Parts: sequence; C-alpha cells; structure tokens
Amino acid sequence: MRLELGHIYIKDIQFASESKIENGVLYVSEEAVKAVALEDEKIKSVSFDIAKPGESVRITPVKDVIEPRVKVEGRGGIFPGVIAKVDTVGSGKTYALKGMAVVTAGKIVGFQEGIIDMTGPGADYTPFSKTLNLVMVCEPVDDIKQHDYEKAVRFAGFRVATYLGELARNLTPDETKVYETCGIKEGIEKYPDLPRVAYVQMLQSQGLLHDTYVYGVDAKKIVPTILSPTEVMDGAIVSGNCVSACDKNPTYVHENNPVVEDMFAQHGKAFNFVAHIITNENVYLADKMRSSDWTAKLCRMLDLDGVIVSQEGFGNPDTDLIMNCKKIEAEGVKTVIITDEYAGRDGKSQSLADSDPAADAVVTGGNANQVIILPKLDKVIGTLDYVTKIAGASEETLHEDGSLEVELQVLTGATNETGFNRLSAR
Amino acid sequence: MANIKVVHYINQFFAQIGGEEKADYPVELRKGEVVGPGMALTQNFKGEAEIIATIICGDSYFNENIDKAKAEILDMVKEQAPDVFIAGPAFNAGRYGVACGTIAAAVQEELGIPSLTGMYVENPGADMFKNQVYMVATKNSAAGMRDAVKKMAPLALKLAKGEPIGASCQEGYMPNGVRVNFFEEERGSKRAVDMLIKKLADKPFTTEFPMPDFDRVEPNPAVKDLAHAKIALVTSGGIVPKGNPDHIESSSASHYGEYDITGVMDLTEDTYETAHGGYDPVYANEDADRVLPVDVLRDMEKEGIIGELHHLFYTTTGNGTAVASAKAFADEFSQKLKADGVDAVILTST
Amino acid sequence: MQDGYIVLTNNPLVFEKLHSTHELIYREVSYEDILKEARDMIHQGHQLLTHPLSGSVKPNETPYKSMLLSKSKGRMDQASVRLIEYALDACKKFHFRGDQFQSDVYEDFQMIDWTLLESGMTSADVWR
Repeated sequence: MRLELGHIYIKDIQFASESKIENGVLYVSEEAVKAVALEDEKIKSVSFDIAKPGESVRITPVKDVIEPRVKVEGRGGIFPGVIAKVDTVGSGKTYALKGMAVVTAGKIVGFQEGIIDMTGPGADYTPFSKTLNLVMVCEPVDDIKQHDYEKAVRFAGFRVATYLGELARNLTPDETKVYETCGIKEGIEKYPDLPRVAYVQMLQSQGLLHDTYVYGVDAKKIVPTILSPTEVMDGAIVSGNCVSACDKNPTYVHENNPVVEDMFAQHGKAFNFVAHIITNENVYLADKMRSSDWTAKLCRMLDLDGVIVSQEGFGNPDTDLIMNCKKIEAEGVKTVIITDEYAGRDGKSQSLADSDPAADAVVTGGNANQVIILPKLDKVIGTLDYVTKIAGASEETLHEDGSLEVELQVLTGATNETGFNRLSAR
Repeated sequence: MANIKVVHYINQFFAQIGGEEKADYPVELRKGEVVGPGMALTQNFKGEAEIIATIICGDSYFNENIDKAKAEILDMVKEQAPDVFIAGPAFNAGRYGVACGTIAAAVQEELGIPSLTGMYVENPGADMFKNQVYMVATKNSAAGMRDAVKKMAPLALKLAKGEPIGASCQEGYMPNGVRVNFFEEERGSKRAVDMLIKKLADKPFTTEFPMPDFDRVEPNPAVKDLAHAKIALVTSGGIVPKGNPDHIESSSASHYGEYDITGVMDLTEDTYETAHGGYDPVYANEDADRVLPVDVLRDMEKEGIIGELHHLFYTTTGNGTAVASAKAFADEFSQKLKADGVDAVILTST
Repeated sequence: MQDGYIVLTNNPLVFEKLHSTHELIYREVSYEDILKEARDMIHQGHQLLTHPLSGSVKPNETPYKSMLLSKSKGRMDQASVRLIEYALDACKKFHFRGDQFQSDVYEDFQMIDWTLLESGMTSADVWR
C-alpha cells in the first residue's frame, strides 16, 4: 500500500467570520464549528478557545487530542467506520494540518484527568504544549449517562477535526512524505537480505473510558489482526480512552504513531517493515491468553525476524505486554518492548506489574509517579475544580500560591508508551 | 576558590606504602595531605573542592578488625567534618572494594555526610553496597583511574552541594534500584528501532529497564528413599537460640549461624527466637517451629517417614540481605552439608 | 472448560446489580483488603479469571475493585498467585486518596469498576 501524506503547516489559529486556511493561518468561524459540535443533541453547549505554545494557559480535563486530516485521493475517508463510511484506508493521498490539534475537554467522570500546560515545567512533559490547540469544552444535556457523554464528546471532536481537515482539501501541501509497504511475496523479492519486522501495537480495551476503536469496532471484541502501517494515518484507530492521562494514546498519537514513522524511516534500509499487528488488553485473563497466542502466531506466520511491541495504560496491560513478549520471543522473533514505569514517588518500587527474563530489550517512557510542581497559570480552559481529584493528585496538591504539586501521570501524554517523547528513566 | 571540603579514603597500595605484605597497615590520618589518586581527584575538582585529609588503611587490617577500623575511621571523618566523603576507587580489588563500600555507607548513614565510592562492577563490594551509596562504575584495573575520577569528581561536587543527582547513565554511577527520569536525545520509538536493529544483528544493546533479577534454580530430582534420607533444615527466617549468640543482624545480614539441635525435640519460647526484623516476630518467638519445623521433623523421624534430622541447622535473616552475601553463605554451608552426608534440605523462609 | 465463576467485590453497585443472579462475595473493605481476600481464595485453589489491576484508575485512588474467580478449586494456580502479589505490591506505590472525593465521585468510581467487571463477564459468559 502506498500513501502520500501532505503536510500543511499551520502557523497560527484565529477566530474569524469565515473558516479557511490562508498562508498557513487557520481561520475558524466559531459559529460554524459550534454548529458542527452541536449536531449531537446530547451536547447542550460547547465553547471554543485557542491555546498557543508559550501562553500562560492550562487545559484540563483533557479527553482527546486530534489532528485534522482530509483524504484527497484514494479509497475511504478519515476516521473510517466512525465519521467516514467503512472502506479500507491507507492508500492514495491524505493532507494533515501539522502544528495544530483539536483538544476535547470536559468532565465526564468526577475523577477525570489530563492536563496540558502551554508553558512552564509541565509543558516540557506534555507533547501537546508544542501544538496550536483549538480547545472545545462540551457540556452535556442534564442527567446524561457517562457512557453517552463520553461517546458524544468523542464524536464531536472527530466531527470538528474532519470539518477543519476539509478546509485543506484544495490546498497545496508544504511538504509531502510517501509511505509504502509491499505485499508478502513482493517484499521477499524486493528485500531478500533484509530482516522482516513488524510493529505489534496493544490497544487499551477494558471498558468505559478505557476503549479504543478500529474502523469503529470496539477493540475488546477483536482478535489480533494485521493492518497496513499506513491505515492509522487515515484515522483507522481512534481513542475512546480518557483514563491514565500520561500513558493513554490520544487519537493524535494513533494518527502520528511514532513507531510506525520510525520503522518506515528504516524500511528498505535496515529492515523490511512488513506489517502493523494490533492486539488488545482485555480484563479477562483467558482473552489475554488468546490474544497473545494470536500475536505470536501472526509473527510466526509472517516469518518475522523482529518486532517492536508498544503498550497502553497501567497495571493490567503490563501482563499483556509480558505475555506478548514471552510468546513472540519463544517463536524465535526478536522483541523490543516500550512501556512506562510506576516506580513510586521515590523511584524505589517495582516499576511494572509483571516481568519475565525474555523482556531483555525495554524502552521506557519514564516514571509516571515523579512529582512535579506546576506553577499557577493565568488562564484555565476547562475547569480546575477536578484537578485536585485526578490520578496522581493528592490532598496537598493545591499550594497556597496557586501552584499544583502533582505526579507526571496527570499530564496528557507525558510517559507515552509508543515512544512519543524523549523522557526516559534509569 | 575551593570551599568544598573532601576527606578521601584509600588503601595501603594506593598510598604507595606497599602491596599484600603491608595489608595489615593500621588506620592512619594524614591531615592536609593529598595522596595517590587524590591528586587526580583534585585536578578534576577544578578548584571547586579540596581534599583536607586522607585516611589510609590496609585492606587486611580493615577486613579483619572491621568494627574497630570502622569506628576509628568514623571518628576521624567526624572530626574533619567534610562536605563529602570519597572512598577509592577500588577497581577490581575485592577486599579494598568491600572496605570502600562499608566505610562510605557508614559515613553516610552514621554521620549524615554524603559519600561515594567507585569500583568495577564485578567487585564483590559492588553488589553489597551499590544500593546504599553512589558507586561509580570503573574499569577492572587502575589503568582506568583517569576515567574513574572524571566521573567521581563531578558527582562528589554535586553531592556536596546537595544538587539533584541525575539518572545513573548520565552520572556514571551503578544502577541503585532508584529510577530517575531524564530526557534522552532521541524519542522512545527511535530508541526502540535502534535497539531492535542491534538485537537483530546480535550486537550488544542496553535495555533501559532491566527486568528484576531472576535467579531460578532447577530443583533436584525428588528424594527416592525418604525413609533413609538425612534431612537438614536451613532458614532465612532468622531462627536462632534465645539471645542470638552470634548477633545475626535483623536486616542485611553479614553472616549466618550454625546451631546444634541434637536432642532438641521442640523449639520453645524459652529456647529459640527470631532475629529477623522484617516481619512481625510475635508468632515466631512464641513457637519458632512455625518457621523452622523441628517438632514436625522429629515426629517424622520417629514415625520412620524420614531417616534422620541432621543435627545442625543453618540460619540467617533474609531481610534486605544482599543476594551476593546469601550466595556466599550458601556456598560455604552447602559444602558442610555435603560433607556431613545430608541427602536433602528443607529451606524455609517467612 | 470452566464451570462458572464467583464475583468478588467491595463495590456496592456490583452487589446491587448481581447479588440476586450471580454467586457473589461482597465485603465492605478497602481496595487492598479485597485483593487480600482474593489472594486467600487463590491460596485455597481458586483461579483468578480477571486481572486484579483492571482499569487505569489507580489503586488507592478508586476504593473499589471487583474480580472474577473460578468457582471450582484445584491446585494452587501459580499465575494467579503472581498476578495478585504484583497487584498487592502496586498498592504501595500510590498515595492513599481514596477518602478525599465528593460523594458523587464515588458513584463514578463504582460505575467504572462495574463496567470493567462487566467487560470481563461478557468474556466469561461465553463459556457458560
């Protein structure tokens, strides 16, 4: 499969009477995006705001982060099975609005988490302090059930991102990158001497606020399967996950999956990037057995020499990670795993909730329990009411000078387990 | 302008007093003197710190008179009141490494003065003390002096100033069980790809998170003839004769005990207790058979289920005891058990 | 094949939803204590069927935990022992804040724990 990804650089976002992209500036009609968000009757009201890198702004509680994209050539549309109709994506031509993101925020449950600071020490840890953010805070109708609210906010974000992506349809990209993988036989013929590798991505799939969707299918209900690595670039995987802010994968991370990008960078050079295998992280232990058996089986059937396995979330997924690693290694396939750590505030506790000697090649996104002081910022988008109640926040959280003492785990994307950041630990 | 004060500890060899033949050299304080490796350290302090005194001690003297030597050195360090204490580097010299680790840990713990040492990773002192004091990883011979002091001097300055200490791979100390965050040059996915390429090519790579140490021991085949077997008891649960005659430590044990239970049918509250400091001792002290089941084995002996209970048992406290120490204990008493014709051992923990 | 499961929970919502239709053990105890109860059952030969650290809400943050264990007892299951010990260990890593929320937040915690359990039951019920 071959996908051309056109980058449209967004240098600024401004509210205006008409939505358009001109000279790298995204003009947003507030009225128009509000109408798009309010298409769902479960959303009572929505407010939009703009947060730019370096501004004294804190966004919280963050639910999802999305990069607007548009499909300009080839099959299907962005977010297949969710916004676009079901059709196989990942080929043709897609444009992405680079340097910006749509951030959805809103209190779905009382203990919700997710902070993006646009400046200060927190900004060093969350990758979304570097993007121009169009933030939408959605208020639901009264007496809504949490799962309906979660779904309404999730879809509203995708609709708004799709609306913005459409604005780029007739533009000329500033830069174009080409990603291409081959069929099994073609790959063997083309790269006879290169090792065959794949990416095994574990998707959060435990229940409400812990779900991921593949072409609209709840990932709890999938058995491990194979994607072309270009499919995620068209939004084939989206997040319905808003717990564990630091190590959940927002939709933005799925669209810009760094393992996919960095494996493509070596495709045809150091190895042949054969496939993107996806699997899940269910609660039920027999499901874990089945899924890890299957990932190992797929690795074997694809005659792989090596894989990178990435994780999502805390605790339960550690078990899936270790099972996958152990079984894939047992098939003779060399494995590198990416995780993050909960080593306690003092860094002395056992980092993972499972372990095995087969996991001898580990990349870590750092210790999520590390304490950080976030200074008071001038403006809050969303609400701080719940900050003291988010994971990793403790009763001493709010200092008298307005600063917050929290653990890294409250910062959106801080210890991402697809290797999105430079943070690590030893 | 040097304002950070350093006391430096070295052995007789590095003080150029002599080799093994001078290893019984007693503790000596040289005020205002910079000796041997102290010169290289001073150079690397770049004027920020000075060695105000050097303490010299022979390796045999230290290890054979450990309590006395430790007390003498602690007194000297206390009197000098440095901002930081440096021992070694010891490279691959085993007894020197143990001395450096022991004294650096003691200075830090008992005097509250930040301390560091350096040695080769396979020096027995490394495993014993790397989690207690910052320990710079050095080469295995004194040829690595230049590299060693290059890492030790800046780390000593940071410790003296109370500055935050970075991750082990940045500062050059051995991983000490404390995970420290830092920013890498490359993002995680790129690091994973690079690691995979190395692993695919069978080239060496370094994991960022070593899995906990798994030292799995394959069990021996089952004892075929239990009725004629000599069974011994070994415990890490700290069961000792009342009063703990050999002073086995309640944690981080430095030795084990060997006790005769000839004729002992039952461990009672008046005769045995536990030295272990890592669990609630009430039930073990009430009836030590709960940890070391002498009573049950005597019954089995009587009933002919086992041949006999060995008349010696071996004991230590597992609480925080270094794996290397535990291995060393077992290496030693396993030989005794074998020599005594023991067929099988029941190992109890807590 | 499996012969059904027991629900072990300290979540009143799970009790309310399941007590008349399912075999259920309900204890009004802490998160850590309900894990210990599971450990004791595992020592007696029950097998853990769901992961004790299900959900990304951290121990000591949510007070609620529900698990499925096998109804039948066999030899002690080593994998279950390992999982429950790791889970008990994990409790120590997080500052205790289970008592610091407003009452409506507890309803959210109960509901999330219930949905996590429900996803496990959906899988388990395939066997019934």
